[in-house]
Order: sequence, then structure tokens, then C-alpha cells
Amino acid sequence: MFWTAWAILSVVGDIVVWVFVGPHTPPGALTETAKSDQFDFNVLLMFAVPVLIGVWMWLAFAIRFWNVKRGGPDPVGGEAARNNKVAQVSWIGITSFVVLFLAGFGTWALVVDHGSGGGEGPNPVWSPAGAVKAETAAATGNSSWKVGEPLVVQVIAQQWRFTYRYPQFGGFESQQINIPAHTTIVFNVTSLDVIHDFWAYQLGVKADANPGINNVAYTETKGTGSFVVRCAELCGIWHGGMFNYGKVLSQSAFQNWASSTEAANAQNTKFLPAFSWTYYPSANGAGGGYYPAGNLTPYSPSETYGSATPAS
Amino acid sequence: MSELTGSRISPEEREYELRAQIGSIWSGGRLFIGIYTFAIASLVFTYFYLRSTNSASLWRTPGETAPVAMGYAIWICTLLVAFLANYGRRRLRAGFAQDFVVAGWTATGVGLLGLFFQIYILTQVPFYPGANGYSSMFIGYSIFNIGTLVVMTYWIETTTVRAMRVRRELGGDKPELSKHEMAQLFRADVASMVYFQGFIAVAATLFLAMFYWM
Amino acid sequence: MTISAERPVDVVAGAPSLPVSKVSWTQRPGWVSQHLGTAVVMGFLGYVFGHWLGNYIASGYTYVQNTGQNNIADTLALAFMVLGWLLGIGALNYPLLKIVGREPAEEEIPIKHWSRFFRFSLDHKVVGLQYVVGVLLFMFTGGLLAMAVRAELLSPTFHLFSADTYIKIVSEHGTVMMMMATSIIVGPLGNYFVPLMIGARRMAFPRIEAFSFWIFTAGYMVIFAALPYGGFPTGWTGYAPLQTQAGPGMIGYLLGFAVIGTGMIASGFNIGVTIINYRAPGLTWNRIPVFVWSILATASLLTLATPVLFVGGFLGLLDKTVQTAFYVNEHGGSAYLWQNLFWFFGHPEVYIMALPGFGIAGELLPVFTRKPLFAYKVSAAGMMGVALLSFFVWQHHLFQSGINPDMRPLFMLTTELISIPTGFIYLVGLGTMYKAKIRFRLPMMFVMALFFNFLIGGVTGVFLSDVPVNVTVHGGFFVLAHFHYTIMGGLLFAFMAGLYYWLPKMTGRMMNEKIGKWHFWTMFIFFNLTFFPMFFIGLLGQPRRVFEYASNLQGLNDFASISAFLLGVSFIIFAFNLAWSMWINPVKAPANPWDSLGLEWQTASPVPHDNFERIPVIMTDPYRYGEPDAPAFADLGVAVGSNSHEA
Repeated sequence: MFWTAWAILSVVGDIVVWVFVGPHTPPGALTETAKSDQFDFNVLLMFAVPVLIGVWMWLAFAIRFWNVKRGGPDPVGGEAARNNKVAQVSWIGITSFVVLFLAGFGTWALVVDHGSGGGEGPNPVWSPAGAVKAETAAATGNSSWKVGEPLVVQVIAQQWRFTYRYPQFGGFESQQINIPAHTTIVFNVTSLDVIHDFWAYQLGVKADANPGINNVAYTETKGTGSFVVRCAELCGIWHGGMFNYGKVLSQSAFQNWASSTEAANAQNTKFLPAFSWTYYPSANGAGGGYYPAGNLTPYSPSETYGSATPAS
Repeated sequence: MSELTGSRISPEEREYELRAQIGSIWSGGRLFIGIYTFAIASLVFTYFYLRSTNSASLWRTPGETAPVAMGYAIWICTLLVAFLANYGRRRLRAGFAQDFVVAGWTATGVGLLGLFFQIYILTQVPFYPGANGYSSMFIGYSIFNIGTLVVMTYWIETTTVRAMRVRRELGGDKPELSKHEMAQLFRADVASMVYFQGFIAVAATLFLAMFYWM
Repeated sequence: MTISAERPVDVVAGAPSLPVSKVSWTQRPGWVSQHLGTAVVMGFLGYVFGHWLGNYIASGYTYVQNTGQNNIADTLALAFMVLGWLLGIGALNYPLLKIVGREPAEEEIPIKHWSRFFRFSLDHKVVGLQYVVGVLLFMFTGGLLAMAVRAELLSPTFHLFSADTYIKIVSEHGTVMMMMATSIIVGPLGNYFVPLMIGARRMAFPRIEAFSFWIFTAGYMVIFAALPYGGFPTGWTGYAPLQTQAGPGMIGYLLGFAVIGTGMIASGFNIGVTIINYRAPGLTWNRIPVFVWSILATASLLTLATPVLFVGGFLGLLDKTVQTAFYVNEHGGSAYLWQNLFWFFGHPEVYIMALPGFGIAGELLPVFTRKPLFAYKVSAAGMMGVALLSFFVWQHHLFQSGINPDMRPLFMLTTELISIPTGFIYLVGLGTMYKAKIRFRLPMMFVMALFFNFLIGGVTGVFLSDVPVNVTVHGGFFVLAHFHYTIMGGLLFAFMAGLYYWLPKMTGRMMNEKIGKWHFWTMFIFFNLTFFPMFFIGLLGQPRRVFEYASNLQGLNDFASISAFLLGVSFIIFAFNLAWSMWINPVKAPANPWDSLGLEWQTASPVPHDNFERIPVIMTDPYRYGEPDAPAFADLGVAVGSNSHEA
């Protein structure tokens, strides 16, 4: 009876979850990446629901029926109560199978279809078609974006805001992030100070922003819409206030916005450092001169630490 | 049974507890090596991590080396302590407890000398600590190693003192090799100590190679 | 060497009877001895001395003058405070006397006087009770900080605290709770009951055990010293560039973890060695209670994983004081290094917190179901399997960090593999409940709640380990809900189960069942109402440790906050129950209130100094419930009501 009830409830639960909850699970379906993450989430839910139902039902059974108040004979100990080969072997077998399947599925979902949108470090092992080429070209600083080609966006995090550079549009820097629809987007995420995390929730993208490191993440946009960017790695006092909003525009609207911003910002852009995957602000800039400037050679302790006694 | 008198222990139980105590010293000594292994392994990991990462191309400025002679001196001191501990234990087993005491005091002196060098080297390094990865690593290891040398020296010194105490309190001929509880525990302690010293000698050699040969 | 069940009745004298005057002055009642008071005085003097020394050494250093911040003085002050505290309590008497060969040959015999609870005691039962008070102190202060966090999150825009204060409260809450959780079961219940359960008369290294408690308390002071130093803004994870950037409060964090870590190593070392060596005759590996298995697995993690944390904190302190650059990218260090070192410790640490909870569940289930533990070997294998695998999963905290992205499938696999041995615990639990006669007394209710809560925590853990899903849930409230479900829903409920179950043995007084039921139901309901909404808050996009959030999430956040306050009330009920049942209206506990077969209930109550009058001989395996003809678990060598064994 227990198993029949469990099977029925699980199937019903799975169907209900798939039909009614599934379409609304995060991160939504604004991009192909988000959609594939959402699919992954829902597959896990399909496994979670029967497990939760099974264990909770068992606990409920125990509370209801295997209770001292129900009376009946005392349970009999001995070998039968200690071990049950069928139960043990099938439990271990089934959990192992489920776990191995999920690990395999997760690995598959990581690279196949549209990727996961997670930060893949400076040398991604997986990238969508054309992305690497676009990135290599963008690094030279004199490529430009054409509709249908991957767009390269550099995300620069610092305490406590995100700015975005568009190397295919003359490397202008903006506090506004807009991206075109139906396009592969290459995010190059880096930081100027501490570790931040670029989390574009609706895009299904999350990548840590590390100082001195170019962390690459990909997504592929579908229709237009808006999204929120939040910092998801504690970065100091105003971590909670580090967010902004972005838009997925139609390709022509994006082209217009980017070109006009490039022109409007041209005066500022020429004062920016040349486009690069990472930037090294002075380590002493924000820290108030903690480390001695430059590489002291020849080394003398007194230059590093100063004199041992306070200057009179 | 009063709280003050302690319980009554039959000879069998006393023997059982003694076995447990000796076993504890044995497994405790090994587990201590385990703890140290993980601590040292994280330093080794740090070394190779910084070396392979080479952030800002600042793993090591070309030609930069920590003081060589003093580094070797510390290493030799460490090896000597380990060797003397091992030698002392062999002589002890052969029935020459006096040799153990002499070796122990010598090793204590050598350990203190190594400790002096280890502190002194910090004032002689030709780079500032945060100059690059190598310099950080060297300073970090040096300070860590002060602690290691203190533990080494402490352990061999206390066993030496314990050896003298065993002889003084038990009296008779070769008391440290007797079946007496104190003597048995003492021998277990010495064995654990010797293994630890040997382990540290190996680790010190590894770090010597990392800092001066690689 | 074994002790046969038929033991000779002739008994030799043990330790000689010592008059009070012969007891070392450090242990005598009265002011002129070593106790908490001297520890406070010496700790204070140590602080002052360390501060002076640091200023003497470093006040002229360039960076000190540039930054106006003498980190060396702050570090040395706290370090010498710890040293002074240990000196004052007497933890260093023995090791120092050992240098001159004058250490006492016999263990100091504790005085039966209430003041022993304020001393460096070598009695594992005293240490266990000290730990109860110690972890509760940690828990209640950490809980107060949690209340502050939830109060701030009542509104998305209106601020109770400044952003600065808020982040420091969050960081302090996380760190204090993590420190507490590593010891909450191993410290009080492990130290008290492991020797009793394995039939030992003492711990292997009682001085190391007592040291572990007193350095644990010193760690409490160090981590709270971070607040007057200006707090630290890094959360309990202390990620590196922020750590390097932070003010002197960071020293409290780094040194605090090093100090607590030393205590963790010490307590794990002692308990592990004790379990290996001090098992009573006949207590083979097939027979040790499952709680002891869990403590053994925990002890192995404590001793082996914590040194990595110690070194990590040590390197961070060097960055702060002598200007090395381990975690500074621009000077040849690496911020990733901290993340690797920290999580290499940090993930085993998660299981340091989970395993003892499983152990308590496994230990209590047979007692209250009146059935043998189902699949005993599977449960032991599960715990050891979890302990082993936990060393190979640390990078799942770094899936989005850009570190080793090509290793993500591997760490996804290892992380999901670890749910197999964790699932063993459920097999054991559910199998034991099968067709049982469960008595729903308070400890059992907490165990049932553990199975309920931990299931949610465990299942969401699988979501987190899946890299594509991790993209959405990493760094958000989903993670936060997940680990509160495992640590609070698992460990803390297990701790409560253990307290309700074992306090009668520890104190001879029963906990009040009626108030206890109020405590249980408020805690269970409001725990779930607090943390279950947080899964949704996280899925809807709220990152952790923020003081401002999207206004559409205010409803859920307010719900969680109000539930959290009521959860706080349930802890007040618990505190009241503790006070009521222990001091105000104590009810004497029967010798074996739960009809347990466990060895710890077979010895006299209150437990005599040497635990067992004779070393027990274990006759069979521990969970022979439901077998009326089964032999007793142990032969205690003493006929009931008599002092000699005449069989």
C-alpha cells in the first residue's frame, strides 16, 4: 500500500510540478542559457519530488502507525530487524544510480546545448560557435560588431558598481548595460579591487569578478526584455547596494544605442586606459600605502618598515 | 568509594590501562605527524600554487635567493636533531641510557642553535616580505618553522629530562628498560618523538629543495 | 591482553588517598589557586603587555605611520591575551613543569567542590559540562546577532543599521556560529559520553582535552574582540582581497580562527586517540555505538582538516602584520590561494558539523523505537565514507569563480557522490523506524525533526552541486537556506535531542517535558517558517549578505524575519526550561529514564570520578532491543547494590 501510494503521489507530484511550477522556475527563459539552466533545475525537481514525498510519507507512517499508542506486540529484534539485504542493496543501488545519472546529466548540461552561463575562467573549455574568434578580434581594439556576430562585453566590477566596456564599439565605458536580442554575448568579467560577482539573473549568467583575472561567461539572448544585475559575492560595506538594470534590445535598437553612446562618450573614452582583459590599479591606491611602492632593490629593512623607533 | 581516594584497580585493569596509555602515545604520535603533514602540505601547496600562478609575473625576481649559508645551517641543525634522537634511541635500546641523555642534551642545544639561526635569518633576508611570491613564502615558512623547531626541541628536551627522572626515581640497574609503568611510557614517548623528528627532517629537506634548489 | 568477565575479587589500592593539603595549590578551593578569575587577570595583563610590545616594535614602521594602524600591536595584544588566559587558568602548568622534569606524576585529583567548573579540570565530565555552557554562550550571542540581521531585513530600504554595522553583524554572526557549530556536539556530548560509551575510565589526554575547552573560550574573546577593533566586513569566508583591505577587525577573525582551530585540533586529537585505544575489552569495531563512530569520523576531520585553516589564517595574519603578500595578486600572491585553503578546510568542516548529528540520531533511534539499529555497518560505512569524500569536494564552492573551470565536472561528481553515504543515514533511520513502537518523547521528536529538516537541506544540496543550477543559486539566499537547513535543522536539532536525552545523566535532573514540548514545537515550526521562504527569496534573486533588496521580496523577507523572531522566542523557552529544570524546580532523574541499553546509563548516577567501578567487559553488540533473552551489553563486574563481584 505504501509503495502504491508513493508511486501515485510521485507521478502526480511530478506532473503537477512540471506543468505548473516548471515554467516559472528561475532563472526564467529570457535567454537560451537561462532556459537551459531552467530545464536543468526542473529535471532535478523531478527527482527531488519523489524523494521528498517518499521520506515524508515514511515519517508520517511512522508517526501514525508505528507508534507506541497503537499498542500491539513489541517489535522483535534479532537478525531480521537488523539487516535486510534486499532493502540495503536496492537503496544503495538506486541512490548510486540516481547520483551518477545526475552527475552525468549535469556535465552534459554544462556544455551541450547553450552552456550553463557560469564563469569559465580565462581559458574556457567550452564556448559557443564564433565566440573565441570575436573575443580575439575584440582584444585588438579595432574590430566592430555586426548584426548576427557575437558581442563582446567587458564587465568591470569595483567597489561598489559595475561598469561595462564595449570593445567592438571603440572601447567606450558605460554604467548602463544593453545587449542585442538573438545574439551570442561574451562577458569578460574582471574586477579592479576585491572579488565581486556579476550575476545577471534573468540572463542565467554568473561569474566571479576577480582582480587581475578575466573570467569569461557566455549567453545567447532570445527576445527582448530587461534584467537585473546584482553583485553575488560579498565585496564590502555597500555590497547590498551594488546592482543595476540592463535591457535586451532589438538588434537595430542596440546598434543605435551603442553607436550613439560611443560617439557621446568619445571625449571620455580617450582618457581611459587602452582596452585590456584585466587592469592593474596601483595596489597602494586604496590601501593607503601599505606596501612599499615599487620593488625595493637593494632591499633595506628600514626602507620597508621605516626606523624601528618613532621619529622624534 | 570516596572521590578523593580514586577507585580500586585490580592488577589486570592496571595492566589494561597501561596498554591503553602506551597505545595512546603510539597513535597520538602518529596522529600528530598527520596533523603536521596537513599543515606542511598546505604550505607546500601554497608554494607551488604561487609559483605556478606567477601573478603579475612576480613569483620570483631573477637571481633572488634567501641567505644560503644560514638556510643550510638551519637544515643541518634539523637533521642533526633527528639523527641524535634516532641515535639516542638506539643506544637506549642497547642499554646505554647515558648516551641517550647526552644525545638528548646535544640535540636540545642543536635545536636551540637552529632556533637562533631561524630567527636571525629573518633579519638578514635581502628582500622585503611582500616583494614577490617567493619572498612571502620564505618569510611565511621561516616563521612557521620557528614553531616547528620549538616543538622539536621541546619534545627532545622533555624526553631527556624524563629519562633522567626515570633513572632518579626508579633507581637500580637500567631502570629505563624495566617493566615499570613509568619506564614503559617513557619508551613509547621516545619512539613517537623519534618518528616525529625524522618526519620533520624529511619536511625540512623538502623545503630546502624548494627554496634553494628549484 | 583482555580482562575476562570472571575477574578476581582481590583489589589493589589505586591512587593513594590524598588529604586536601596534598592537592596541588592550583586546584584547591579558594581564591589562592588557578581559576577563571586568575585567567581573566592574566588575560588582561597579557593583552596590555602584547599591545605595549607591538607598539615598541612597530610604531615607527613606515606602513604603521602611513596607515595609522599598528596591526602588529593588535595581533600581539590578542595573542598574548590568549597566552595569559591559558597561563592563568593553569593550562600551561604541566607542559612548563615538564621542561624541568617536575611535572606531577599522577593526575591531579579534582576536588569535589562547585568551583571545579571554573578550573582547568582533567575530568572529562567536568569538561563536558563546561562545554555545554560554552557552546550555549556562543549560540545565544550568535543568535542575538541573527535577530539583528533579520531586523534589518524587515524593510528593503529603511535601515536600522548603517551598511557598515550591518555587514559586521552578518560577518560576526556567521563566524561565531561556525566556530560554535564545530564543537557543539563533539565538545559537550562527545567529551562527556564517549568515554562512558566505550567503557573507559578516562580520556587518553585529559590535559589536551581541558586545553581544548579553555582555548575555545579564548577564541570567543578573540572573535568578539573584532568588534571593538572595528569589525570585519568579509563574512565568515573572509575572501582575500577584501580581507587584505579590511581594517584591524580582520585580525580578530584570522587569529580567532587560528585559536579556535588549535582547540578543534586538540579536541579531535584527544577524542580520536581515546576511541582507538581506550575501548573496553570486548568492544570491537563491530560493537561500538554508532554515536562513537560519528565522533570518530568527526575527530579525524577535526585533526586533519583544521591544520589547513590554521595555516590559511596564519598566512593571512602575516599579510596583515609583516607585509608578506600571500593573498595579494599585485605582489606575486594569489587571492585564489585563500579560497582554496579556506575551502579545503571549509568543506570537511561542514561535515564536522553534520556527522555528530547523524550519530545522535542513530544512537537515539533504537532507544525510542525499541528496535535494533537497522544496517549498523552501513551507517558506520556512511559516516566514514562522508568523512573521506569530504576532502575531495572543496571546489564546488568555487564553481563560478573562474578557478579550474575544467575541474567542474569532477567536483560535481564527487559532491553528488557524497550524497550516497549521506543517504545511508536515511536508510538506517527509516529502516529502524519500520514497524517499530516509537515512543514520542522529546529526544525522539527532535530526531524526527532532524530527518525532516535534513532531507530538505540534503536535497537542495544536490541542486547546489549541479553546476548549471549553481549558476542561479550560488551566492544567494538559496545557499543560505540550504546550509541553515543542514546545520541548524540537522546539527542543532540533534544537539537539542542529545541535551534532552543526556542531561538527566549529566546533571541527575530531568528536563521538563511540558515546557520542552513548547520548545520543540515552536522551534520546529518557526525554524521551517524562517528558512523555507528563504529558498524562494534566493530563487527570486536575492544575494546573501545584502542590506537592500528588491522591494517585491519584502513580503517573503518580513515573513522570514517575524518567524525568526519567534524562533528566537523558542530559544528563550529553551533557556527558561533549562533554568527551570536544572535550578528552580529540579526533578530527580531516574537512573535510566529512557530504558536504554547504552553503557553510559549502566554506570552509577551521578557518574563516579572513575566512571566505572570496574572496567566493563562488553559481551555483545549495542542495540539488542526487542530480544528479551539477549545478554546484557556489558558485564560491569559489579553486582547491583554491592561493591564486589561474587558470581
